[in-house]
Parts: sequence; structure tokens; C-alpha cells
Amino acid sequence: MATENLWTEHIVLQKRPRWMKYPILAWITTTDHKKIGIAYIYTAFIFFVLAGIEALIIRTQLAVPNNNFVNPELFNEAFTMHGTIMLFMFLMPMWTGFGNYLVPLMIGSRDVAFPRINQLGYWLLAIGGTILALSLVIGEAPNVGWFAYAPLTEATATCLSQSATILSQAETAAAAAASAAGAQGCFSAGLNVDVWAVALSVLGISSILTSINFIVTIIKMRAPGMTINRMPLFVWMMLVTSFLMIFALPSLTAGASLLLLDRHMGMHWFQAAFQGDPLLWQHLFWSFGHPEVYIIILPGFGMISEILPVFSGKPIFGYAFVAWSGVAIGFLSFTVWAHHMFAVGLPLVAQAFFSASSMIIAVPTGVKIFNWLATIWRGRIRFTTPMLFALAFILQFVVGGLSGVVVSVVPVDYQVTDSYFVVAHFHYVMMAGSTFALFAGIYYWFPKLSGRLLDERLGKLHFWLFFIGTNLTFFPQHILGLLGMPRRVYTYPSGLGWSSLNFMSSMGAYILAAGVIVFVANWFFTIRRPATATTDPWDAYTLEWVTTSPPPPENFVEIPIVRSARPLWDLKHPDQADWRKRAPRQPVPQS
Amino acid sequence: MSTVISQEALTEHEHEPQGRSFGWYGMVFFLASEAVFFANLIAAYLYLRVRAGAWPPTVEHLTRPEPLMTGINTLILLASSFPMHFAARAITKGDKRGLTIGLGLTALLGAIFLGGQAYEYVHNAFGPSTGVFGSTFYTLTGFHGAHVTFGVIFLLICFIRSLRGDFSQNKHFAVNAVEMYWHFVDAVWIILFLTVYIL
Ligand code: HEM
Ligand SMILES: [Cu+2]
Repeated sequence: MATENLWTEHIVLQKRPRWMKYPILAWITTTDHKKIGIAYIYTAFIFFVLAGIEALIIRTQLAVPNNNFVNPELFNEAFTMHGTIMLFMFLMPMWTGFGNYLVPLMIGSRDVAFPRINQLGYWLLAIGGTILALSLVIGEAPNVGWFAYAPLTEATATCLSQSATILSQAETAAAAAASAAGAQGCFSAGLNVDVWAVALSVLGISSILTSINFIVTIIKMRAPGMTINRMPLFVWMMLVTSFLMIFALPSLTAGASLLLLDRHMGMHWFQAAFQGDPLLWQHLFWSFGHPEVYIIILPGFGMISEILPVFSGKPIFGYAFVAWSGVAIGFLSFTVWAHHMFAVGLPLVAQAFFSASSMIIAVPTGVKIFNWLATIWRGRIRFTTPMLFALAFILQFVVGGLSGVVVSVVPVDYQVTDSYFVVAHFHYVMMAGSTFALFAGIYYWFPKLSGRLLDERLGKLHFWLFFIGTNLTFFPQHILGLLGMPRRVYTYPSGLGWSSLNFMSSMGAYILAAGVIVFVANWFFTIRRPATATTDPWDAYTLEWVTTSPPPPENFVEIPIVRSARPLWDLKHPDQADWRKRAPRQPVPQS
Repeated sequence: MSTVISQEALTEHEHEPQGRSFGWYGMVFFLASEAVFFANLIAAYLYLRVRAGAWPPTVEHLTRPEPLMTGINTLILLASSFPMHFAARAITKGDKRGLTIGLGLTALLGAIFLGGQAYEYVHNAFGPSTGVFGSTFYTLTGFHGAHVTFGVIFLLICFIRSLRGDFSQNKHFAVNAVEMYWHFVDAVWIILFLTVYIL
């Protein structure tokens, strides 16, 4: 395109303090959404490797029966930190990072609405992540599972109330018995739980601030002509995700605050001996936790909806359905939380309600899958690395979605809850789903972020290692769960029929690790090469590909005018422009 | 071809909002998120209360605090919304003196409210660890008190800035922000007062 060399002569005047000439300080103090985005992405990747190492510890311990590769205490820390980090320090910051980088570019804006609040969001994330990482170093890492169920999380000291005098004798005895049980190790006296609660509260506040920035940016800063129904689907999904974050994360912060008050102010929110209720914790946690799983998947849906059309050479099938089913999922995700609690003895009506609502949420999810399939149907498909990840995403996410519907049937759930079947379900949605979508996105947008295309051959090797590794690791876990293997067990005896399946699963994990190494090598070699990527290396449709790779500080010389959901297509094919095909419903702004 | 532009100038020019400012939207979503936080606390409180049957639970042998004194305190907090409103109105007309007086008065009423709350805490017959009644009472009122404290600090900062003449008819976003925040904290208190003391 003719705009290729425009930027070389382009100067941006900014008042820059002298010390900004040191690159490190420039990065630390930056409010540029692209730099902050990249900082998020690197931070998240480092934590991905950390949590991956923990996963390898878990799988090594479970590879053979009666193993003691690590001790049980470390095993507890490993699975707790693995889950907590993968969600809060890997997938969430990855989406925030890509959102930061891409949303302003995709909507044709020069910046975000609140650059400084955005920066604060990143630094809060860094603090939360540091707390988690340091806890590993000092040996006080969280060890109570990523959902930190009360009463296990209560500190022993608070179980014996200082004011037991006001209780009747029988109740005092009950309370004393409860805390005696605590003294035998039922409760968590160390710092571990405090680390978890504090770090997650900090991360929660970070996400809320970031979301506010996303929402206002998307609502107020779109390029002229970009109506809400012409926004790229990734932007749509970031918008829905941001709303989920501002409405779901307060439940987590509230729950974590009550937990800290119980532990340090002697309160009794979750203590049954004092008319508190451990189930209250589960309600608070899962009313955050289920929206959270959609926070983890929706941006991935968005990426897939950008990538599939480009490599199929077609527009997305049923744009409006893909967008609005995302909104529907957002609303419904607040109505299903107690499907995580079927086994605790909820009233029958509640079980029926949450079972039905969980099945209903599969409907808008299914709508998206049919739209994606229709998009690739009869397309001129280019099997690039991003496309391979995207196609595998569809396949594997269907498996995860179906096992989700299976466990939302209450009697089935009674049977498989807290077993490896659930572990298989959520890894099919979060690893085989979200993480595959993420890698599709990484390969797709890498040239935009860095000016360099990742190597396709190494990329394909990475893909096949991931595809085989993921399915080898997680498919057998369905069967393990049905055979009765509980999740989070430290080890198991031989002769239960679990051994070979566990061994397969562990081998899969090593293959995944090899995939990560190939990816890091690919990154390492690519980043050293000269930045030669063109503006639009994939022949794409959306505005981020209108500007150079990487974009200049102010993103665009001239803010483009948008007339359809595929502005770059329109620009490249004026005769076949999307907006010519049917009379525009919205008035077209004149240039 | 060479273009020389200032990044800020461009952003301002192209996106200067028609209608509400960015900051206004930002505050709305921030307060929405805060509202969900308090909604969670209230829901947790009601959950325990319904399960306990009697409230405070019979085993705790307590009576709920009298609403009278706190009711008066509530009226003081509600009254503080008026000077806040007039302060914000004043600055839109360029009346800086009105702004300063309004902010000062609001902060003063807020501080009186906090004093009342502190007095109540000291004289209550129960503490946060006495039983679940105390836990819920101090958590709900305490989180609100923390918000009022933050609000008073925010008001005082605006008050000082107003004395120094930082605000003008066209540039006074902090005043709008503190106004929104303060009305929000007031509204939350009405709900908390009704649930904790009256219901
Ligand atoms: C088709 C829609 C889905 C349905 C009907 C569904 C249903 C369920 C149910 C009933 C459980 C509880 C199983 C148990 O603990 O006994 C569960 C667990 C879980 N689901 Fe899903 N799910 C769906 C999609 C997703 C998605 C998209 C994600 C994430 C990206 C996800 C992540 C999880 C996680 C992390 C858990 C386990 C939490 C834990 O116990 O640690 N699910 N799902
Ligand atoms: Cu769920």
C-alpha cells in the first residue's frame, strides 16, 4: 500500500522529561496503550511458564502410582498456584494485554480514555503477581485450592472466640471441639491463605480499573462511522468481558475481605459454630467464579471471530448473532453459579433452576459454533498457524462445552463432581479452548505488535505438539473421572485401573512443555530478525492492519472513516465494498 | 510529506465528547462496581440472617442497637448532600466562593457523621468477634465508614484546591467526581441503615 513509508517523516511532539531517554524508565512510566499492552503480554507469559512448571510437578507426581516426587504440602501448593496463576496471572492479563494493544487500533482511536488509570491497572497487576510469586519463594504459597473453600481457609485462632462467654455451655463445648479439630490441621493458620486473599483482591481491583478504561474507550472513542454494529468482534467481546469484570469481581473482593476479617478480626462469617456459614463462601466465590470462566473465554471467542474469516476469505457468518450471543452469554453467566455446588445439598428447586440455566447458557455458545462453522464452510481456507490453532479451538471447545452440559445434569454431577471428569471439562474449555484461541491470536497479531512474522514452520510444529499434547493430557482424564479418581489427590495405589491413563496424561504434559519451548525458540529467533512485516501481511479486514507494523505512537496519521464491519476490505476493494452490497442502515458520514 | 502534530491535541480534538465527559462515564462504571460490592455484603448479611432465624441469633443474647441516635446521624449525612449539590452548582456558574463554602460544609457534616459512628462503636454492647451479629454489623457499617472517610479526604483535597483557586467554570472535574461519589455513599447508607437498623 502507498501508506507504507509515511511514518518515517512523521514526528510527534511530546513534552518528555530528560530522564525519559533511558528506555527502562520510559517503559515504567509509559501511558501508551501499546506499550502497556506489551508489558501485560510479557508479564502474563512469564507467569504462564511458572504455572506450567507447577503443572509439570503435578503431572510428574501423578505419573505413576504411590509416587513421592514431591511432598504432599508442596503438591497442595502446586495445584493451588497452578490454577490461581493460570486464571489470574496468565489468561486474564493476556486478554487485557491484547485488548490494550488492539482495541484502540481496531476502533480507529489514537489512545484509550484513561491512559493513567490504565497504567495504574498494570502496576496493580504487577504487585498482585509479585505477592503470589514471592509467596512461593518464602514457602507460604496458597495451598487451599484455587477456590479456597471455607472452613479450610479459616485460621485456627479465630475458631475459639475470645468472647465465648456469651455462649451457652453446650455451644462453647461445640466451638472448642471445632477448634480442637482445627488444631489437628483442619484449618489454615499460616500466611498462605492471606497471600491468596490479598493478591486476588489487588488483582481484582486492577481488572476493574482496566475494564472501566475499556468500556469508556469503546463507547466514546470509535472512529467516525464505526457504529456499534460495525465494531470488530474482538472489540465486542472485550466490551462484554469488561462488563463482566466490573460486575463479577466485586463478589470476589467482598468474599476475600470477609475471609480476611474472619481470619484477623475474629469475625465469624464462614464459621458454622457461630451461626456463620461456610456455604456463604461458596455462593460468594462462585457468583464471581462462573462469570469469571466467561471472562476467560469471551475474548478468545472474539479472537477466533477475527481470525477465521480472514483465513477463510469470507466475512463472518451472522455477525449480529456472534455479537449478541456474546451479550446473552454475559447476562446468563450471572445466573448459573450454583452448578458448582450441586453436591452441597441445595434445595431441590435451586438445583433444578441452576441445572436448567446452565443448559440454557449452552445455547448462545452453540450459536457461535455454528456461525464459525458456516464461516469456514466453502471458504478459500489458508492453513496458516493462526488458522490451525483456530480450527483446533472449535473442535476442542465443542468437547469442553458438551462435557459442561453433561455435568450440569444434577445426578450426573453427583457422580463426577470433584473427580477428574471436572478437571477434563475445564481444561477442554480453558486450555484446549481459551489458550488455543490465545495462541491463534499471538501468531496472528505478532507481526502487528513487533513488525515481524513468527516462523511458520516452527509455528506448525508448535501447533502439532500442542494439539497432540493437549488431547493426550486431558482426554484420558474424562475416563479417570468416570473411574472414580478424585481431583487433587496426592497419589493413588496401583490396581485401580488408573495407572496407564495417568501415565498417558503425564506424557501429554511433557509434549505440551516441548510445544512451549518451540514457541519460545520461535519468538527468540524472530525477535532478532529485522522488522520487515508489511502493514497487512495476512490480507485482513480490520483497522489495526491499516497502519504500519508496529504502529506509530499516535496509531494513525489520519483517522479512517468506517462504512462497514470490514473497513480494510472496503479500502482494498472499493468496487466490492461491503457497504455497497446493501443500503446502509445508518447514515454514511461524508469524508 | 511531513506532519507535525501533538498527540494530546489530536486526541482532544477528535474525541472531545459531545455530551458527558469521559470522566463522568468512568465514575458511573466505577460506582456501579462499588454498588455491586455493597450488594454482595448486604446479600451475605441477609443470607446469614435468614438462616439464623432470630436476629441477633438467640444464643448471642443481644438486642439490636437503637436506631434513634444513628437515625439522627443518618439525617446529618443526608443533609450533607445539599451543600455538596450547591457547591457543584456554584462552580458551573463560576462562583468559586460558593464552591469553597459548599465543599467545606460537606466535609464538616461528613466528619460529624464519622464521629457519631465512632461514638456508637465505642458504646456498643458487642464487638466484631462477639458473634455473627457483631461480625455483620461491623463489616457493613465499617466498609461504609471507610468509604465516608475516603470521601471526606477527597472533599478536603478539593476544598484546599478550591482555596488555591484550582477550579474554574469550565475546568472542575474533581468537583463533579467527588459530588457523584458523595451522593453514592449517601444512597448506600440509606440502604444500609434500613437493612441493619430497621428491617
Ligand atoms: C457450555 C457451557 C458450560 C456449562 C454448561 C458448564 C458447566 C459446568 C459445571 C456444571 C461445572 C461444575 C462441575 C462440578 O464441579 O461438579 C463446571 C465446572 C467448571 N467449568 Fe464449566 N461449563 C461450561 C463452560 C465453561 C467454560 C467456557 C469455562 C471456561 C473457559 C468453564 C470452566 C469451568 C471450570 C474452571 C470449572 C471447575 C471449577 C472448579 O471446580 O475448580 N466452563 N462447568
Ligand atoms: Cu460454572
